[in-house]
Amino acid sequence: MAGAKTPNGHDVVIDAQNLRMIYPGAAGGAKGTVAVDGVTFQVRRGEIFGFLGPNGAGKTTTISILTTLLRATSGSAHIEQIDVQSDPDQVRRKLGLVFQKSTADEELTGRENMLIEAGLYGLSSREIGGHVDDLLRQMDLAASADRFVKTYSGGMRRRLELAVGMVHRPQLLFLDEPTLGLDPQGRAGFWRYIRHLRESQGLTVFMTTHYLDEADQLCDRIAVIDHGKIIALGTPRELKDSVGGDTLEVTVTPGAPDPTNLLQGMAGVSSVVRAGDTFRVKCSHGEALIPKTVLAADQAGIGIAGVTVTKPTLDEVFLQLTGHAYREEGESPHAPGDPEGAAPGPNGGRP
Amino acid sequence: MMLPAASLIKREYLRWIRAPTWVISGLMSPILYLLLFGQAFDLGKLLPAGTPASVLTHVLSGAPNYFSYFAVGMVAFASVTAAMFSGTGIIFDKQLGILQRTLSTPISRRSVFLSALTFRGMLTLIPAFLVVGFALLLAKVPGVAGLSVASGVTVLDAGQFLVAALILSVAFTALFLSFGFAAQRIESYFGVVTILQLPILLTSNAMYPVNIMPTWLQYLVGYNPISLAVNVMRMSLFGTAGYPYAAWVYLLGLLAWAILFVSLALLLASRALRTDGSPSDSALSRAIAE
Ligand SMILES: Nc1ncnc2c1ncn2[C@@H]1O[C@H](COP(=O)(O)OP(=O)(O)OP(=O)(O)O)[C@@H](O)[C@H]1O
Ligand SMILES: [Mg+2]
Repeated sequence: MAGAKTPNGHDVVIDAQNLRMIYPGAAGGAKGTVAVDGVTFQVRRGEIFGFLGPNGAGKTTTISILTTLLRATSGSAHIEQIDVQSDPDQVRRKLGLVFQKSTADEELTGRENMLIEAGLYGLSSREIGGHVDDLLRQMDLAASADRFVKTYSGGMRRRLELAVGMVHRPQLLFLDEPTLGLDPQGRAGFWRYIRHLRESQGLTVFMTTHYLDEADQLCDRIAVIDHGKIIALGTPRELKDSVGGDTLEVTVTPGAPDPTNLLQGMAGVSSVVRAGDTFRVKCSHGEALIPKTVLAADQAGIGIAGVTVTKPTLDEVFLQLTGHAYREEGESPHAPGDPEGAAPGPNGGRP
Repeated sequence: MMLPAASLIKREYLRWIRAPTWVISGLMSPILYLLLFGQAFDLGKLLPAGTPASVLTHVLSGAPNYFSYFAVGMVAFASVTAAMFSGTGIIFDKQLGILQRTLSTPISRRSVFLSALTFRGMLTLIPAFLVVGFALLLAKVPGVAGLSVASGVTVLDAGQFLVAALILSVAFTALFLSFGFAAQRIESYFGVVTILQLPILLTSNAMYPVNIMPTWLQYLVGYNPISLAVNVMRMSLFGTAGYPYAAWVYLLGLLAWAILFVSLALLLASRALRTDGSPSDSALSRAIAE
């Protein structure tokens, strides 16, 4: 039998259709919380799919529904064509899950945690022992494998969580903020291993992270979720292109006149945002704008301290889409033709 | 497949063996009861001097002295008290995310409950056996009351004693375990335990002979699962004289309670493990969870 395919012929591993989750209100019948509000997406085999969004956006809730831990209020979800609601036992066999919060048993050693988890999948330590050793090495836990988890550092616990989630060799991994609290080596090592598994075994990964650079480098596709709704979905490239080109950062010398109007008047400039002495210019071709800016400022008698060009990042995508993430202190968006930069309300960036 | 349940039992065992303080605290109260209460209060001394021994034996339904009567009651008391703690581990597992992780694996919800029942049920038998051993040992100490059994006790009688103890502990372990699955916090769990503890223990014949109770209380006591188990255990050790029914009748009654408790517990536990996002659904489990 042929598996479900996308119109482009990709194998669909996760298929979520119009998922909604309303957490019941407190006893007494208060109105519930709409945590996931009509989410639809498909994840293809061998893909690393990023699920990004601010705190409380509904990421963990979505993962809980897909991994059978939570029954959606409405909508449907299939893992490998199996319905998560009608056949949860089969679905659980298909996936590995790394929780956002720690789940290891403190009173056991790292190795015991892994072997007991394997046992829950019906795997004996004889069958899985070599793989456990291998995973412990990959996660840099070999030396502490036989220590009690209560003696582990935060990062070691996190790495153990990753190892436990993969102990039964799942072909589909759900990772809820997997690298939270890991040092740079730990992060790099983990992603190297995930990439290796993807290349060698066609592993599919569904992950959430707040490290946007990580998502940019790793994910084949990214969905941005906010207030329970997917507000953008595409490759990192597509998302970055959607925010409209480069950013030119023009820093003026202290006391220099405001160059906003000057910058606004230049060809290819779409907006100017002030942050102290620095002006962020959204434009189509940053490099080409540098000499023009310097020349024009010189003629207008505005002293320039420096000019840099940055290519769009996911941070900007995030900022533009959700309007409330990762904004620097003291930065206030300028509406064009509004040199005073009237302070926006708490949701000023929101459509 | 046996392995998933065995894996859970192994985890429980490893945790238990590494925290032996629980064993000691679990033993304290029954042994104190035997040493203090059982020694201090001898019902036989209340009878006027010169009363024939048969009168006391009649009041104590065949037991040779009050301590022996009381000690068998303490066996049941010890295992039921231990069972009342059996749900606490589940609440900690829940709070630490361990239960969530377990539920994300293919192990069935029923196996999660039954493996906990198996292991915890076994644990509650340990204090019961230690009470028996300790009470028998006291009989060897001069000047101290101890447990003395009838001379004709056979292996079959001992087996019957064991079966009654086992069914009793399974019944109460299942019940309190399911409260552990339903409760969100340890305080609410112990709230329920506190409400149930005294009514369950005091409406039994563990401490006082039924014959001297008012009639209305006798009815209540007669149907209490602890009384049914204790009847069987006392008949095993002291003989069947003075009991209106045969031991198997009491065993059957006890079994009926056990089946009721285990079914109720399975229902409550599986409701609590349901995945609709609410902590729990039924009125009972909500009352426990609050
Ligand atoms: N058990 C629950 N009961 C009631 N409301 C909940 C529950 N779990 C989550 N919520 C609510 O649902 C919404 C989504 O939560 P969720 O944990 O899915 O967010 P998230 O995207 O994972 O956030 P984070 O980045 O902080 O992990 C939030 O408003 C949260 O308060
Ligand atoms: Mg989350």
